[in-house]
Amino acid sequence: MSGLVGQDVARVDGRAKVTGAARYAADQEVPGALHGFLVMSTIARGEVLEIDARAALAHPGVVAVYTHRDMPRLRVPDFPYNRPFIPMQDARVHHSGQPVAYVVAQTLEQAQEAANLVRVRYRAEDPVARMADVLDQAFLPEKFRDRNNEDGRGDAAAALEQAEVRIDRTYASPMQHHNPIEPHTTTAVWEEDGTLTLYESAQGVVFTRGMVTQAFAGTDRPPANVRVVSPYLGGGFGAKGPTYPHTLLTAAAARLAGRPVKLVLSRAQMYTSNGHRAEYRHHLRLGATRQGRLTAIDATSTAQVTRLDGRIYNSSDSTLHLYSCPNVHVRQLGVRLDLPTSSYMRSPETTSHFGLETALDELSHELGIDPVELRIRNHTEVVQATEANGRTERPYGGKHLLECYRAAAEAFGWARRDPRPGRTRDGDEYVGWGMATETHTYGHIPSEARLTIGLDGRATLRTATQEIGTGTYTVLGQVAADELGLPIGHVTTLLGDTAYPAASISAGSSTVPSVVGPVSEAAKNARAAVIALAVADPRSPLHGVPAGEVVAEGGRLFARGDRDRTDTYRDVVARHGSPVEVTGRRPNTAGHTFGAVFLEVRIQPRLGRLRVTRVVTAHDLGRVLNRRTARGQVIGGVTWGIGFALMEHTMVDPGTARVVNPNLSTYLVPVCADTPSVEALFVDRPISDSQALGARGFGETPGTGVPAAIGNAIFHATGRRLREVPFTQDKLL
Amino acid sequence: MRSFGYTIADSPAEAVRIAASTPGSAFVAGGTELLNLMRDGAQAHDHLIDVNHLDLGGIAAGPGRLRLGASARMRQVAEHATVRREFPVLSEALLASASPQIRNMASIGGNLLQRTRCGYFRDAGSPCDKRTPGSGCPAIAGHNRGHAILGGGDRCIATHPSDLAVALTALDATVHLLGPEGARAVPIAEFYLLPGATPERETAMRPGELITWVDVPRTTLAGRSRYLKLRDRATFEFAVVSVAAALRMRGRVVRDVRLAFGGVGTRPWRDAGVEAALRGRPLTRQAIAEAGRLLVRDAAPREGNRFKVELVQRALASILDDLGGLR
Ligand SMILES: Cc1cc2nc3c(=O)[nH]c(=O)nc-3n(C[C@H](O)[C@H](O)[C@H](O)COP(=O)(O)OP(=O)(O)OC[C@H]3O[C@@H](n4cnc5c(N)ncnc54)[C@H](O)[C@@H]3O)c2cc1C
Ligand code: SF4
Repeated sequence: MSGLVGQDVARVDGRAKVTGAARYAADQEVPGALHGFLVMSTIARGEVLEIDARAALAHPGVVAVYTHRDMPRLRVPDFPYNRPFIPMQDARVHHSGQPVAYVVAQTLEQAQEAANLVRVRYRAEDPVARMADVLDQAFLPEKFRDRNNEDGRGDAAAALEQAEVRIDRTYASPMQHHNPIEPHTTTAVWEEDGTLTLYESAQGVVFTRGMVTQAFAGTDRPPANVRVVSPYLGGGFGAKGPTYPHTLLTAAAARLAGRPVKLVLSRAQMYTSNGHRAEYRHHLRLGATRQGRLTAIDATSTAQVTRLDGRIYNSSDSTLHLYSCPNVHVRQLGVRLDLPTSSYMRSPETTSHFGLETALDELSHELGIDPVELRIRNHTEVVQATEANGRTERPYGGKHLLECYRAAAEAFGWARRDPRPGRTRDGDEYVGWGMATETHTYGHIPSEARLTIGLDGRATLRTATQEIGTGTYTVLGQVAADELGLPIGHVTTLLGDTAYPAASISAGSSTVPSVVGPVSEAAKNARAAVIALAVADPRSPLHGVPAGEVVAEGGRLFARGDRDRTDTYRDVVARHGSPVEVTGRRPNTAGHTFGAVFLEVRIQPRLGRLRVTRVVTAHDLGRVLNRRTARGQVIGGVTWGIGFALMEHTMVDPGTARVVNPNLSTYLVPVCADTPSVEALFVDRPISDSQALGARGFGETPGTGVPAAIGNAIFHATGRRLREVPFTQDKLL
Repeated sequence: MRSFGYTIADSPAEAVRIAASTPGSAFVAGGTELLNLMRDGAQAHDHLIDVNHLDLGGIAAGPGRLRLGASARMRQVAEHATVRREFPVLSEALLASASPQIRNMASIGGNLLQRTRCGYFRDAGSPCDKRTPGSGCPAIAGHNRGHAILGGGDRCIATHPSDLAVALTALDATVHLLGPEGARAVPIAEFYLLPGATPERETAMRPGELITWVDVPRTTLAGRSRYLKLRDRATFEFAVVSVAAALRMRGRVVRDVRLAFGGVGTRPWRDAGVEAALRGRPLTRQAIAEAGRLLVRDAAPREGNRFKVELVQRALASILDDLGGLR
C-alpha cells in the first residue's frame, strides 16, 4: 500500500466545487423541463373546500395547476418515506405548509407567481401547536423501526429509592431545522422506455428509489424502473435522508404534464417539507453512591409527534449504554401536535445526551467530584445495550474513551481548573470551563462497489452512496488507490446514481462503516484479477510468478524481491483487450463512537454576553482514514453544538401553528465570529470489530457533548444552571 | 413575486414625477430589503424606479452639519474619515449592521425605510395588522422576543430594525424629502410614527416622496458618541437591545447627553425625560439607575420580551459608564 489512508488528503472534488464545475441536482439541464412550484396550506388542520385556480391558469406560461382531484392515487411508502400520509390525495390538511396544489409553468418565476394567485378556501379546525399545552396527554408510542420506546435493565425505581445521592431535573430543547444551504430539489423525467429518472437532492439514492417505486406501484402506469441521480449534495444533515412528499408529487406532476418537471423548494417551504428536530423535554433522575458510582438512571423524555404517527427520532442510546449502571429505565413519550412529522437531524442523539451530560455535571457538583473523574468512575468497557434478541454484554472492539478524557484534559489544561463556580475571572468577565463525553451510534447498511480497470490502466469506482459534503469521493478514492497501488489521480470515483451497485445512505454515520469495506474488497479483487492476467500471460514480464508474489505500487506491478520484473496496469489490461471489472462486498456491524469535549466560555455578567472562546476535543474513531476530513467533521460538529446551545430555535405560532421564522435571517445559526478554532485530537487506532479498515462511523459523534459542555461551563463561570436551550442572553442576566 | 416594470430615473425630480404618475410603484436603491419583501409577498409593486443613478450619493461635511446623500452606501458612510472622527456613533451603528456584502449594496435612504423583522409581517400566510390592516396582531400573544416594550398598543408591537436610525435619532438628524408638492425637511423625531391605530403607516412620508439626504448637526457632543448593540449572535444579526449615546461632561457633571434606543420601541426610541434626568447632575451609578428606571416606567412587556426591561437599563448603564469614564 502506498499509504494514502490515514493521511491528510485534500478533497479530490474540492476544485470542482469551488469553481462551480460540480453539478448538483438542480444544475442538471433537462431539455424541455417545466418548472413546478408548490402551493402550501395556510391552515394547520382541517380541509380544503375549494381551490380556485382560474387566475393562476390565466397567468402567462402556466401549463397546469394540479390539486388533489388530479393527482394519481399513490400508496404511502414505508419508512424512510417520512410522512404518515401523502398530501394532495384527499382534501385533508394535517399541518400548515402542506402542499395543496402544484403549479407547473414554463419558467420558475411564472410558476411562483401563479402559485400566489391560487385561491384556496378551507374549513379550519383549531390546531394544537405547543407541547406545553398538552403535556398531560403524553403517551408511549409503539416501537419505531424495531426500537421500543421503553427499555432498560435492573430496577431503576428501587435503586433510586435507595440511592445515597439523587439528581432530579428536567431539561428541554426546542424544535430545530437542518437548513442545508442547497434547497431540496427534484427533477422528474419519464423516459420513453418507461424509466422514471429523478435528479434529486437525496442522501440515499437507493432508498429514494425504493420509496418512489412503492408509491407508484399501484398506479395505472407504474414506472418500469426508477433511477435516482444525486452526484453532489450541498449539505443534508438528515433533511435529505428520508423521502418526502415533494419528490412523489413532482414525479406525479411530470406524469400528468407529459413533460419533465423541475422543483426547487423555497427556504420557507423547507421549514415544513423535510422534517426537523422534535421539541423535546427530558426528565432525568440519577441515583449514585457518595463515591460517585451510578446506581440508577431513570429517564422519561417527551417529544412532539403528530396526530397520525408516533415516531420518535431522538433515541436515548447514551443513557442506555454509555456508563456502567446496573439499573436503567428509559421511556420515550410523545405528544400529538398539528405540525409536520419530525425527523433525524444531525446527531439525533445529542437531543437526549444534552440532558444526561448536564445531569452528570450536576451530580459531580453535588458530590464534589471532578466531572472527568466522575465519568471515569462510571466508565464501562462492555456494550450494555438491550438488543432485539435480549440483553447482551459484549466487549467493544476497542473503546479508548479514557484516553480521550486524558488527552483532551491535558491539552486543555483542565488540571488548573478551580472547581468552585463563579470564582474564575478575567477583567470584567467570568470564565467557565466545562466538559462532556461525546458519543453517537453509527449504522451499517449492506453495500456493494464495482471497480473497473480500463484499457488505460486507470480505475473507475462506482457505488451508489453519496457525497454530502463530508469527503466521500476523497476517502473512497484513497481506499481504492491504496489497495490497487495506483496514485489517487488514477482513480475516478462515481457516486450518487442508482445505476451503480446499491450502497449505503449517507446518514446515521454509516457511509464509512458500510462502504469502505466493499470498496477495499473490490479494489483487492481488481488487483488480484489484473495480477492473475499478468502472471498467466506469456507476454508479461511477470509471467509465471506466483500471484501471491506480485505487489502493486504507483501503478506498477512488481515481483516481490525482483523489482526488475515489472508490468503496469495499463499494459496488462491493454494486452487483455477488455476492461477488468469486479465487485466487492464486505459486511460490517453497527456500533458506537466516543470522545470528549472540553471548552471555555467567557461571560460579561452585566449584559449577559457570552462567547465560547476555546474548544479541545479528543475522539476515538478507530482508524482515522483522512485526518483532514475527520477534522472537518469535528469543526462542523462543534459549530452545530454551539448553534444548538446558544441560538437555534424554530418558533411556531401557538394560534396558527405556522413557523414564524422560516428563513436564515431570523432562524439563527452560528457565524464565524461565534466559533473559536477547535483543537481536534484523535486516538488513531484500528478497532478489531470493524470491516472498514478498522474505522468507526464518525460523522455524528463530534458535537454531541457540546451543548452540555457549554451549559456546564456556564455553571462553572456563574453558578447558574441552565437546563433549557437556547442559552440566550436574557437567561444570563 | 409578480413581474414589475422598471425605470432608471435621471434626476430626483424625474423620480418623483414618475412615482406620482405610476400607482403601485416604489423606489429601489440597493434592493437588499425591497426585493426580499416582494419575494416574501409582504409587499407588491407593479413598477420600480431605480434611484441609484441620482446625484444623491455624496457625503459632505459642511459648516454646522454633515450631509449624507440618500444613495450613499452604508459602507461609504461607515468608513468616511469625518464620520468616524466626529460622529463615531454613526460609524459604529453602521458597522454593527448586516454584513459587509449588504453594506456594500445598501443605501442610507433604503436603510431608514427598511421594515420590521417581525416574522408575522414577513409571512404572507400569517395575519398581521401592519401588512394587512384589520387582520390582527398575532405577535402580542405569540412570539414577541424581538418586539417592543415601549410605544406599542393593541394593534402592533413591532420594532423598527434600523441601527442607523437609532444613531441618527440620538444626534437630532433631519430627513430631507422631495415630493410632488416640493421639498421639505422632517426632524427625525417626527419622521417615524407610533403604530397607534394605523400600524401600516410607519413614517411621516407622503405618497411619492423621495428621501434626498439626511443632515446631522456637527456638534462637539456628536464626537463623544458610541453605539452599543446586543444581539443573539456575534455578527450579522439585528439588535435585541441597542443604545446610541452621546455624552459631554464638565468634570463629574453631565453637561449634555443624547440617548436613543433600538430593539425596545416601536420606533427608534428617544425620551427627553431620561436625558433631562441626567443633564446637570453628577454622573453617578445612582443617577444612571434612576434614568434607566425612568426610561422603562411605561414599559408594557409581553411574555417573550420581559427581559428587555432589565437589559435595556443595563445597556444604558454600561454605555454611560464607558463614555463617562466610570470604568
Ligand atoms: C440579512 C440582513 C441583515 C440585516 N441586518 C441589519 C442590521 O443588523 N441593522 C440594520 O440597520 N439593517 C440591517 N439590514 C437591513 C439593511 O440595512 C437594509 O436592507 C438596507 O439598508 C436597505 O437599503 P437598500 O438600499 O438596499 O434599500 P432598498 O431595498 O432598495 O429599499 C428599501 C426601501 O426603501 C425605499 N427607498 C430606497 N431609497 C429611497 C429613497 N431615496 N427615497 C425614498 N424611498 C427609498 C424603497 O422603496 C424600499 O421601500 C439587514 C438586511 C439583511 C438582508
Ligand atoms: S407586531 Fe406589528 S408587524 Fe408584527 S404581527 Fe403584530 S401587527 Fe404585524
